[in-house]
Amino acid sequence: MLELKGINKQLGDFRLKDINLEINEGEYFVILGPTGTGKTVILEVIAGMYRPDSGEIYFKNQKISSLYPEQRGISFVYQDYALFPHLSVEENIIFGLKVQNISQESIKKSLQDMVTLLGIEHLLQRYPTTLSGGEQQRVAIARALITSPQILLLDEPLSALDPRTRQVFQEELQNIHAMLGTTTIHITHDFSEALALGDRIAVLQDGAIVQVGTPAEVFHHPSSCFVAEFVGAENILSGQCTDGVIKVGPGVDIHAVSPEQGEVNLTIRPEDIIISHQPLTCSAQNSLPGTLLKMYNQGPLFRITIDSGVILTALLSKQAVEEMALRPGQKVWATFKASAVHVF
Amino acid sequence: MTKTRAPGQNIFFIALVAVAIAFLAGFIISAISLVLLKGLPGLASSLASPEIQFAMKLSLSTSIISTLLCFAFALPAAYGLVRFDFPGKGVVNAVLNIPIALPPVVSGVALLLLFGTTALGNELAARGLKFVFTPQGIVVAQFFVNAPYMMTVLRSTFKDIDPRLEFVARTLGCSQLQSFLRVTLPLARNGLIAASVITWARALGEFGAVLMLCGATRFKTEVLPISLFLNMSTGELDLAMAAASILIIISLTSLFVFELLGASYKQFEISRVEI
Repeated sequence: MLELKGINKQLGDFRLKDINLEINEGEYFVILGPTGTGKTVILEVIAGMYRPDSGEIYFKNQKISSLYPEQRGISFVYQDYALFPHLSVEENIIFGLKVQNISQESIKKSLQDMVTLLGIEHLLQRYPTTLSGGEQQRVAIARALITSPQILLLDEPLSALDPRTRQVFQEELQNIHAMLGTTTIHITHDFSEALALGDRIAVLQDGAIVQVGTPAEVFHHPSSCFVAEFVGAENILSGQCTDGVIKVGPGVDIHAVSPEQGEVNLTIRPEDIIISHQPLTCSAQNSLPGTLLKMYNQGPLFRITIDSGVILTALLSKQAVEEMALRPGQKVWATFKASAVHVF
Repeated sequence: MTKTRAPGQNIFFIALVAVAIAFLAGFIISAISLVLLKGLPGLASSLASPEIQFAMKLSLSTSIISTLLCFAFALPAAYGLVRFDFPGKGVVNAVLNIPIALPPVVSGVALLLLFGTTALGNELAARGLKFVFTPQGIVVAQFFVNAPYMMTVLRSTFKDIDPRLEFVARTLGCSQLQSFLRVTLPLARNGLIAASVITWARALGEFGAVLMLCGATRFKTEVLPISLFLNMSTGELDLAMAAASILIIISLTSLFVFELLGASYKQFEISRVEI
């Protein structure tokens, strides 16, 4: 539906490098990347604030890169919402409808539908500067959606909210998307947000797209150590792979289920690692002796680091830690299945 | 230890600052109040004199016309210089600022040469547009001196308005002009009013450029500052003080309005919050 082909754009320190993306109709697409990687610039190029230096944008197979922003049918919600400070909430929301010559009655009806959907009826007569972040966010979304855009662009929509409001609003974004089905491109630096909302994710590194896939694909099969780290993967190791055995350190071999040969990276989820005082006799192929280094209390769970020639992190329940009487300095065994090792 | 002094503040330094402030304020107040003391008692009778009436009418009409002209040119110019990037922008900016740095008398001489006996001056004169030693010339002189000044004020107004607001308006269906009219212009409202008021007050008081281009002729090019100059030269002190007092009152009023409105939209935002 929306296609970016070979987009390059230099803007101050930001640079978009050869961006190629295809976004499907009705999709909730998340662009994930650390701050300062030009994520906002991608959205501004899509919406028409900037022309790309090279490359083209197609919408339903029509080239739109040279169209004015008002001809594209793409709504934009900025991170700080950019509400019009001189207009009331109501005037902000119906702004896009008043520009088109739409009858008062149908404006009223659209307004009613939109404020009901977002639960902001009580705010209509207020001015933007008197609203909380969450309220401004709702008004900005209402203003963007009331014109029934083909695509909705959300620039870090949750980052300015406090954690509780963020959780609530994340669910609301899901509901709104489920109800209206508007194709949405959402930008964030937070993988958990991408995981919760995205049908697909594109990971941006230094202005270039390094991986596109479903959240599960990106999480389980990161294309690089950068992606693995960014999506919160732990136990990221690299080594030489020969017939399913990866040498990650001197005398440290890890068995994996992988056809790869040569230099590879791997991750093991901390919750897949079992800790014991004695070597286990079980089906798991990997059992590494090591020294318990540190224990971090994280409420119901303990995060434990072990030096087995390489540093491994494991997650254990508080109960397990207490029953095993684990202490830093103890000799322990870290055991995990070959199938728990994700090679990339 | 005095209770009012915060710890860490040197009493001698504070005294130095206080003396400087008191000196400046006292200097300004004593000079201006003397004029008002001499001018205000006879103001009513002076206002009835045909000469002051002529000067007031001419001042009002020329200053209003020149302010409108300044507005017509400074508004788009200021907007363009803030919002658009183009090659040579720095040079254009510098050129547009020249009249602010020039002494008005020099601006007047420059205009006199331009509209005097040059091809342009002759061509315009042939079409009935005479600017040398004429009331129309007063408008031109005020415009030349004040348009760049107004542009500077408006530029800071537009700089304070987030360009993304216009962009958002465009994604909601506005054309470029519509987004300017519906978003930027209303947000700039206070800045526009303030710039107009201060420009008008400066036009009313413009002397050097007017004197050079239009001369000082009684009942012809006699705006209030020229009237003050002529009457001082001929010893008509009552009329001179009346003209001076009127100029002071207008200047103080417009300064007050300017301060009240502020030149930025941030103040606009605050006033909205208070609603």
